[in-house]
Amino acid sequence: MCYHSRSMTAAGRIEELRAEALSAVASADTTGELESARVKYLGRSAELTEIKKSIRDLAPEDRKTVGAASNRATKEIEDALAGRLDRLSAAEREERLRSEALDVTLPGTPYPRGSLHPSLRIIDEVVDFFVGLGYRVAEGPEVETDYYNFTALNIPPGHPARTMQDTFFLDEGLVLRTHTSPVQIRTMLSQEPPVYVVCPGRTYRRDSDPTHTPMFNQIEGLAVDEGLSLSHLKGTLAAMARQVFGEGVKVRLRPSYFQFTEPSVELDVSCFNCGGADPNCKVCRGAGWLEMLGAGMVDPAVLEEVGYDSERYTGFAFGMGPDRMAMARYGIPDLRLFFEGDLRFLRQF
Amino acid sequence: MRVPLSWLREYIDFDLSADELAGLFSLRSQEVDGIQRLGVLDGEVVVGEVVEFGPHPNADRLSVAKVDLGGREVQIVAGAPNPYPGARVPVVLPGSTMADGKKLKKAKLRGLESYGMMMSERELGISGEHGGILLLDGGYEVGRPLADYFPVGETVLELDVNPNRPDLWGVIGVARELAAILKTEFRTPEPRLVTGGSPTEDYTLRVEAPDLCPRYDLRRVSGVTPGGRVPLWMRRRIHAAGMRPVNAVVDATNYVMLETGQPIHAFDAAKVRGGIVVRRGRGGEKMTMLDGHTRTLDKEMLVIADEERGLVVAGVMGAEDAEVSDETTDVLIEVATFAGRNIMETSQRLGLRTDASGRFERGLDPNMVSYAMDRVAALICGTSGGRVAPDTLSHYPEPVGSWEVPMRLERAELLLGMTVEKDEAAERLGLLGCQVRGEDGRLVANVPTFRRDLEREADLIEEVGRLVGLENVPEVLPGVPLPGGLTPSQKKLRTLRRLLADLGLHEAVTYPFGPDRWKRSLGPGNGDAAPLELRNPLSAEASNLRPSLLPGLLDAAARNRHFGARGGALFEVGHVFETREQPEGMREYALRYRLTGETGLDAEVPAALLMGVEEKTRVAGLLAGTVRPAAWNASAGTAGFFEAKGVVERLVPDARFGPGDEPFLHPGRSAAVLVGDAEVGWVGELHPETAEKFDLAGWPVAAFELDLGAVEPDPEPRFRPFVNVPAVAMDLAVVVNRDVTVGAMLDEIGALGSPMLAETRVFDVYEGEQVPEGKKSVALGFTFQAEETLTDRAVKQELDSVSDRLRAAFGAEVRGG
Repeated sequence: MCYHSRSMTAAGRIEELRAEALSAVASADTTGELESARVKYLGRSAELTEIKKSIRDLAPEDRKTVGAASNRATKEIEDALAGRLDRLSAAEREERLRSEALDVTLPGTPYPRGSLHPSLRIIDEVVDFFVGLGYRVAEGPEVETDYYNFTALNIPPGHPARTMQDTFFLDEGLVLRTHTSPVQIRTMLSQEPPVYVVCPGRTYRRDSDPTHTPMFNQIEGLAVDEGLSLSHLKGTLAAMARQVFGEGVKVRLRPSYFQFTEPSVELDVSCFNCGGADPNCKVCRGAGWLEMLGAGMVDPAVLEEVGYDSERYTGFAFGMGPDRMAMARYGIPDLRLFFEGDLRFLRQF
Repeated sequence: MRVPLSWLREYIDFDLSADELAGLFSLRSQEVDGIQRLGVLDGEVVVGEVVEFGPHPNADRLSVAKVDLGGREVQIVAGAPNPYPGARVPVVLPGSTMADGKKLKKAKLRGLESYGMMMSERELGISGEHGGILLLDGGYEVGRPLADYFPVGETVLELDVNPNRPDLWGVIGVARELAAILKTEFRTPEPRLVTGGSPTEDYTLRVEAPDLCPRYDLRRVSGVTPGGRVPLWMRRRIHAAGMRPVNAVVDATNYVMLETGQPIHAFDAAKVRGGIVVRRGRGGEKMTMLDGHTRTLDKEMLVIADEERGLVVAGVMGAEDAEVSDETTDVLIEVATFAGRNIMETSQRLGLRTDASGRFERGLDPNMVSYAMDRVAALICGTSGGRVAPDTLSHYPEPVGSWEVPMRLERAELLLGMTVEKDEAAERLGLLGCQVRGEDGRLVANVPTFRRDLEREADLIEEVGRLVGLENVPEVLPGVPLPGGLTPSQKKLRTLRRLLADLGLHEAVTYPFGPDRWKRSLGPGNGDAAPLELRNPLSAEASNLRPSLLPGLLDAAARNRHFGARGGALFEVGHVFETREQPEGMREYALRYRLTGETGLDAEVPAALLMGVEEKTRVAGLLAGTVRPAAWNASAGTAGFFEAKGVVERLVPDARFGPGDEPFLHPGRSAAVLVGDAEVGWVGELHPETAEKFDLAGWPVAAFELDLGAVEPDPEPRFRPFVNVPAVAMDLAVVVNRDVTVGAMLDEIGALGSPMLAETRVFDVYEGEQVPEGKKSVALGFTFQAEETLTDRAVKQELDSVSDRLRAAFGAEVRGG
């Protein structure tokens, strides 16, 4: 009787503890409270644990009942704890993330941003185009001799063409190069045809007004090979113009005069902005065409001067102004801005 | 060259608008710079006769006229006071469009109706004269359109004539060119001379400088009515072509120059003493010229003189002495050809360019002289009633004849890259004035002497190509038989520039010449070489070629500061220049090399030495003021030594830094940049004095400059094996004397040669209360790494050997145990 009653009492107590525990789990609002509930009802010194420990002291017939009841209760409480923990920790994580939220509209940590000069951006692009065709890049000094800058280019002393290029003079026989053409001469003197080179660089003329600066950039090119003709010149430069100004542009040739080419031409590019459709176009001012470069077939006298057989070889040469190309492409109104080192200008490129 | 279209139409018929003509001329011949319009563009101008003329009742400065327009009388309000009853005046009717594009309307001026406008010479495009209404003589019939007498409007083509085409400096040449473009005919006026004048041989002609004067013709026109003016139709042409009317004789010479391209001079024969002498200037000879300036002539200038004095600087400008005036009745006309180069040089030395010198310096055709002489003599007779002498004095010892140039059609097709028809080519060359014949499958052109630019086959090919039309040239991309590409150093330059931009520097391109301040303020630091100077700088402020990129960047920084910038970082890659001293006696070779390209007898002499210039490519950076603005989570970066050094270390990975000695840098905050033992540049803060001179006082400024060859922004990578054993990090703080450099400490640690020590970092340098006076604390962080897991003992041992080494070398005390 006694044992029976004891076992009945134990079972009842288990049931009470189970109900108490489940209620405590359900009402725990934080993982901390939940942990306290776990310690209280399932911990080492919890009453339910004590009951389980005392099972071996029970009458054999009671052991089974009480054991089963306590195991069931334990399992039930554990499940409730686990379920509650999931919910609570998810809520707490959410709360924590909420509290960690930033003002994402604040600017990011600044990384430096410099710039490349607009003319040199154009030069790089044009050079890359010609390199892709198989050209190499030739360079030369900016202080040149009278011979390389003029005479070798079929502009002998006293020639009127010399006065067209207002020249800066240094010590006798030395000038600041008025074009990068002497680089072509130096190139031809150093190798046999075929020659395919572009020569970018700074050039100088004694000229200063709103549309001329005493220094400016040039890209010249030279091709000498067997069988080269004006059509190759036109095809090459048309492809270049499309690279720089867009697939849609057209080119046209006009006759011109340069002492080191014959025939000499100028190449116009159809306006990449309006295509000639806008009489008030800011880029071409309604002309529909932009004067892009001077070019021509290398004068036989120049080929002979560097020791090439002008019957066997022909060639074409061209020269363009990357500063003016940059003005057209980026919408820069004033050439003088290019050489002032003005950060308000440079930062934009 | 300004070409009035009404003038051009006298020699050639064409059915093109001005815009079409300009477009066509640009595509076939010379560029057309613009189209200018003068006078009345569209509308009606009639000859009126003033019936009444009196003051405007409501305005002091205005007058009112009643004008008979031939059967009807209109009221016109005028601003000019010169008309009078009975005067014949040009009247432009309402509805007409003027040169500026404005349309004339019936108007009320101060309450009175005004029907049209009486016109000044300027409004009609005859001259710049705007002082009063043009008064017409009795020959103009009242009521007739003025256009029956001369064009009331003009369109002028502004040709940009290439220097090889002096033939296009005259309207006749332009007509010939247009005829070749249009495949049509052109005509030239036939001079009609009134002879019976006094003989030219009353004067003598002596050419003492035949090398500078291939041809000189002199002819006399006598009995000229003094003070005459040329007719309106001539004056308006001269004006439209851009010259000013002077007097009848001078206007005739200018007219023929504009027509033929041949400049002409006229002397008052009465003032010429004895005869004409063509000679070189005498040393110190002075001449007071028509522009009122007295100039000193030299012995290379050609002078047209009489037996006593110089009268004209040949081909450039005349003196006041023997000019034709309003009293002149007897004229000596000079039509000559001079050596173009000599005229050009004279004109440059005198600083005097004229319409005549501009034409002569291109080299004119001596065979043009006779026609121009006849033409001008005929015009003077026609406009001023003179009579032409029976004889011409002529110096033309070596007549120039035409020459033959062959042209192969296959060569033309090769150069032009398009089909060239033989008949077409022959016709075009013929239209240009050549006599062409076919011979052995090629064309042979007999070239007229006015086309001295047509010397060679390629010259003819160009003519054919452009006249046929360059739009017919196809676009063909040639196959280049070579592998292209950038050289390693060109690639490196690209990477370098991109890297500097990515580090926050802005690429500048600055002028390589600057003021004396550049050289004074930078001191003699760039070796002993003399700076290079321009002989003809644009201003004294721009004569020194830079020996360094720094001064240009400093000027830019000062400008930026002036514009309100708080600071910034610039870089530039460019050439720097220095004089290269030449050995004794090399001058002669140097000059020959510079002028002829020949390296001289001694081919061993390097060309660079003959240049006498050392030119190098360098890269420089300049950090000034605030280089990185503060952000909400980052503090501002200010220019300083270590900012600049950091960039240099990025550009030259193996750089070492030695004592710097550039005078323009802060002596205690600058260093020489070394690679191996070679000095490749410098880095440092600007000397305060330099900063002051460049208007940068008070701003922190640091800079660097490096030889491009030493820069290695993206070194070729080399794989080093690594192990998966964890590395051990240890710190060590030591106290040393203040003057011990961290560099020396790091060198000592490196000299240990520890196989375990993978990396050393300096993470703190401290001076202050925590360490004794005259000492500093240097905190170093080490990373140890080996093939197998390191024991605490092994690491401790290694760290001890580091501190032992530092103690032995510098007396370093380990801080905090």
